Amino acid sequence: MAVDGKKLTQSRGCLRALAVGLVLAACRSPTTTEEAPGFEPFTTTTDQPIEPLPLEEPVNRERATLGEALFEEPLLSGDSKVACADCHHRDHALADPRPLSRAAGRPDSPVNSPTMYNVRYLFKLAWGARFDSLEAHNDALMTNPNVMASSWEGSAKRLAGKPGYRERFQRAFPDGLTPANVRTALLEYERSLVTPNAPFDRYLRGDAGAISERAKSGYGLFKAYGCASCHQGMAVGGNMLQRVGVMRDYFADRGKVTPPDWGHFNSTHLERDRFVFRVPSLRNVALTAPYFHDGTATTLESAVTLMARYQLGRELESDDAELLAEFLRTLTGEYRGKAP
Amino acid sequence: MSGSVLLRVALGLCLASFLALTTFIVRHAIDEGEQARYAHELRRLQTLDSGLNEAVLRARSGLLLQYDPLVAALGELHRLEAALRQAPRFFPKSAADELSARLADWSRALKQKEGLIETFKMENSVLQTSLHYFPVLATRIIDRSRAAGDVTAFAARVQNLSSALMLFEAGGDADATGRVVRAQEDVRGALDAAKRVGLERDAEVAVAHARVIVERKPTVDTQVRLMLAAPSFQAALRAEETYSAHYRAALNRSVVQKQLLFALALGIVVLGLTEVILSIRRAALALSRVTDELRVANEALAEEHEKERLRGELRNRFVAMTSHEFRTPLTAIVSSAELLESFGERWDAERRLDHVQRVRQAAGTMQRMLEDVLMIGRAEAGGLRPSPSPIRLDEFCRRLVEALEHSTKKSHVIRYTFLGDPDVTMDERLLQHVLGNLLGNAVKYSTPGSEIHFGVRTTADECFFSVQDHGLGIPPEEMPKLFTSFSRATNAQHLPGTGLGLAVVKRALDVQQGTVTVESELGRGTTFHVAIPRRLATADITLTPP
Repeated sequence: MAVDGKKLTQSRGCLRALAVGLVLAACRSPTTTEEAPGFEPFTTTTDQPIEPLPLEEPVNRERATLGEALFEEPLLSGDSKVACADCHHRDHALADPRPLSRAAGRPDSPVNSPTMYNVRYLFKLAWGARFDSLEAHNDALMTNPNVMASSWEGSAKRLAGKPGYRERFQRAFPDGLTPANVRTALLEYERSLVTPNAPFDRYLRGDAGAISERAKSGYGLFKAYGCASCHQGMAVGGNMLQRVGVMRDYFADRGKVTPPDWGHFNSTHLERDRFVFRVPSLRNVALTAPYFHDGTATTLESAVTLMARYQLGRELESDDAELLAEFLRTLTGEYRGKAP
Repeated sequence: MSGSVLLRVALGLCLASFLALTTFIVRHAIDEGEQARYAHELRRLQTLDSGLNEAVLRARSGLLLQYDPLVAALGELHRLEAALRQAPRFFPKSAADELSARLADWSRALKQKEGLIETFKMENSVLQTSLHYFPVLATRIIDRSRAAGDVTAFAARVQNLSSALMLFEAGGDADATGRVVRAQEDVRGALDAAKRVGLERDAEVAVAHARVIVERKPTVDTQVRLMLAAPSFQAALRAEETYSAHYRAALNRSVVQKQLLFALALGIVVLGLTEVILSIRRAALALSRVTDELRVANEALAEEHEKERLRGELRNRFVAMTSHEFRTPLTAIVSSAELLESFGERWDAERRLDHVQRVRQAAGTMQRMLEDVLMIGRAEAGGLRPSPSPIRLDEFCRRLVEALEHSTKKSHVIRYTFLGDPDVTMDERLLQHVLGNLLGNAVKYSTPGSEIHFGVRTTADECFFSVQDHGLGIPPEEMPKLFTSFSRATNAQHLPGTGLGLAVVKRALDVQQGTVTVESELGRGTTFHVAIPRRLATADITLTPP
């Protein structure tokens, strides 16, 4: 019986160990998770209406470089004739020097093509603020028969036929060349288009000599006239909507109102949104003439003069337009260390 | 065995439930990381909501000069809106649906708030511009009109409007509104005066900005009020409450599940132990049964072996004894025969007769011995059958006594008594074996001249015989093997004898369904009591070998 007793003890021990083990496994001690450092949207770095742009944004280089090639690739369009760069010119700060863009085999664009720089900081996309995200805007332009007249699937197919793209996609994506990856690469490039370190940003960061005295005066006027009521934030605009012609009827004075002039109304069909546009960013504004959605202002001076008249209800005095333009020129940042 | 089967079934069920429950618990376990993230994001909805309200108020009062914080907070809220769409996996479907309904309420409230904020931004920008610009403009108008020599007519009205606007912006009650409207009328009515001092452009701008303030301030304030009243915070709070309630429920469920799991584990341990104990007991029982069987078999084997040894021993003794016992009368026969052959003619008749009688006596002894041996052999082979016949018992016994007296030449006094009905049915030959041996022994083991009592009594069913001597007696330790073949008492070794007599008695009685008992006292004598059925039938008698 001594042997039996020992066996008994062993089997009891085994059963207990089994039970305890299983219970422990089932209960699993709770794991403490560290809360991600909270994104704090309410902090500002200055007490000014304008914030400097971040010096760096996270970018996947491989994909952004691939996206850059796609940006200039006509194969993206349905007829392989139009590239993004046809309206967003590399030598014009990715904007269009023509009042209205014109691409091969397409009707004239209804509005001036704005710059691609700093699009990642815009709260809504397109003049009329039709799109809430860069993705939605790209999807719409891709399928718009007057723009790319294509689809991501079609683009991917055409790209696959051109030597080199398969390999480049293979390097940038685990699953290689797919419609979704064409879109991702293009968006990665667009989001990499930031122009930090403008003289005015350096000034905001404490470098008093970064801008001229005239520009500083211009900045003072920018605030005093009330430009900074709308053109504020780090993109100096791009974060709100505003009616064109707050103090005077711009469209009545210009004449020949067409649907593109209706702005946000085209998206919401609400009367209160008629002539409401997204306030454009003034970053690099010195490089992106002509101005306004209709491309009617050809110089900074004329643009600020018109803005003061129609939006602020005032006529600029003496050389205030020049001073304001002087200030606006300090908003030109750096892309890859150079002017965009 | 059904208990054992039940136990195993119960144990199996317990194990299966345990495994199933464990799998269930593991699959539906509350992921603490997921829960912490989800709860944090739900709380963040409220933080951001409050932050938005505060930022709007700051923007309204001119303390916040840009809208990036509003845009970023709304962006973050939309990100959370998407992230919260996937309810925690440990939520049952009903809970997930309820939570999703609460979050949908919140989304609607957020959308409403976002619309109000967008309008606020537009209107507030315009209002702030005019609010900041109007005093500057008013000061300039006053300065210029002073310079132009007009202090009262126009400048005073502009000054009045400026004050009214400041009061309006500061309070905005009915009085202030009335005053600002009147002041506006005054300024508009004094435009001619403005023209006189060349300030008509400035006057128009002032009127326009005053209108902006008067029109937009209520709009902006309404937007702010509506935005502050928008139910997004309450909706977020309700979503969090719903989440917390279901999380608590899930926690309670998991506690109950774990208790059940523990109970099952306990059940498994208890049932398992019982099973182990029972199987050990069963094994022990089986072992003891086998041991018992082995022991019994062993004992039987030992007994058999002992019997065999005794049998061998007896046979040896038989051989030794018979070689001696048979040799004695044989020697007597041989020597008498030789003497008769050599000297017979010379001897007288008497002497010759003496030797012839010796031969006869010795041959008779041998014959009896041979009969005894043969009888025992037959009995042991199962071949001894009684053949009863009617006899007169008293006469038979008397002849027996007379024959004994004759053969012993009346060396002992034999007292014979008979009682009862003498007519019986018995096997005369077997009875001869029984009584002859008993009486012979009585003579042999008692001193000459002593008395031997031979009593016979018959009843309706049985005959009783008793043979009593006053001889050596039998040692008590010899009693158990008294009736076995070739066994002789230790105190009788010096007397001639084969050790067959009582064995013959026993066997002869066995086949007659008789019994024999013995009383003996060492040195005082022995009494044998024999009982035999009075009427012996032959048919049903079968002798089982000992």
